[in-house]
Amino acid sequence: MSDQIKSLRFAAVMCFVCSMLLALASSGLKGYQEKNMFIDKQLNILKSIGLVDEGQTYSSDRIEKLFSDNIQLVWVERNGRIVDQRDKGQESLPIYLYKDKNMIKAYIVPINSQGLWGRIFGYLAIKNDGSTIFGFTVYKHAETPGLGGEIEKRWFQKNFIGKKILDKQGRFVSISIAKGKVKQRIPKARQPNFVDGISGATFTGKFLSSGLKDILLDYEPVAIQFRKNRAKISSRTN
Amino acid sequence: MKFTRSQSFKAIVAALWESNPISKQVLGICSALAVTVQLNTALVMSMALTFVVAFSNLIISLMRKQVPRNIRIIVEVTVIATLVILADEFLKAFMYHISKQLSVFVGLIITNCIVLGRAETYAMTHPPFRSFVDGIANGLGYSSVLIGVAFLRELLGSGKLLGFSVVPASFYEAGYQNMGLMLLAPGAFIIIGLFVWLQHAILNK
Repeated sequence: MSDQIKSLRFAAVMCFVCSMLLALASSGLKGYQEKNMFIDKQLNILKSIGLVDEGQTYSSDRIEKLFSDNIQLVWVERNGRIVDQRDKGQESLPIYLYKDKNMIKAYIVPINSQGLWGRIFGYLAIKNDGSTIFGFTVYKHAETPGLGGEIEKRWFQKNFIGKKILDKQGRFVSISIAKGKVKQRIPKARQPNFVDGISGATFTGKFLSSGLKDILLDYEPVAIQFRKNRAKISSRTN
Repeated sequence: MKFTRSQSFKAIVAALWESNPISKQVLGICSALAVTVQLNTALVMSMALTFVVAFSNLIISLMRKQVPRNIRIIVEVTVIATLVILADEFLKAFMYHISKQLSVFVGLIITNCIVLGRAETYAMTHPPFRSFVDGIANGLGYSSVLIGVAFLRELLGSGKLLGFSVVPASFYEAGYQNMGLMLLAPGAFIIIGLFVWLQHAILNK
């Protein structure tokens, strides 16, 4: 058999064996990995409202308990009406409610934005006044470590707390990432609508800003309900 | 034969000191910079790399007489890549929090020169058991430097070891501050440079 055919045969066998091994490992471990990712999502939702500390590690059971005690997943329709799982329609958007003794303290919006190298996933928590940001976390992204990757760091996310998505006239402007420091670059009146940018990550900031704006626009109907203090979950009997 | 006289022991000692992959051969530096901010990530990375280099050496050595010469580098990389992906999948399943901190660096073990270097220069020309030991030896050599650098960086940069504060509160009150430079890449560069210098100085005496 010629050398080339031997090489091809060896390569083919190698490819087959390696792919089988990897496919086996991947499907065998999938269950564990998905559970980890699910708990991680819950952890991040809790982090966005400050119910868990940055530096501490929590057991899965503790996270699940904290989550079920404080957070409720509901759905919001195009007109801003909040419904629960059974009444959800085709175009309903998910929203997490942070409830303390039956009072809604904040609502948490899942963020799925374009980034520079891939999508950015996180959660933005907004107070029950529908305009002040309660917290922000990023749990998955593909940005460059040290540059765009700083969006996952505490210092960047902390800056969002207390910022506003409405301007001084009450119009929706969303929250944007400035180029440079807010105190130096943004006029005083607009400062509550911006957070400090990341040096060397202008594009990440641009993409994230427009991603946040698009998503918050989708959730404006329910935000308006919160601003008017009228947000409550409609049940079938209403 | 006493263990200390055996060839295996000598190979391990050699890779820990005289031919240490990082300080003597200056290989595998980039991951050494990134994962040594904390001791726990450095430990996991060390174990992952040692696992990969030992088993890739073993597997490649077992195949060394069958691999056609003209595709041997690709075959080596395929074996290494498969092992790295397996290691990464296991970490994501059983040590999720740490795997997120290590992010891309476990995957980058594929490009780590130590692994491909040992496969090509040793495993292709030596029997399986020797190759496996050589892999363990180089893995330990890499681990020792990684752990040393991480120990200093975490201690000086955040006053902690393995997440536990070790610098007493009284030091902070007296004015002691954590050396922020140690948490950044330049700090790692400096420590690694000092390690290399120290080792060469002692060896050349």
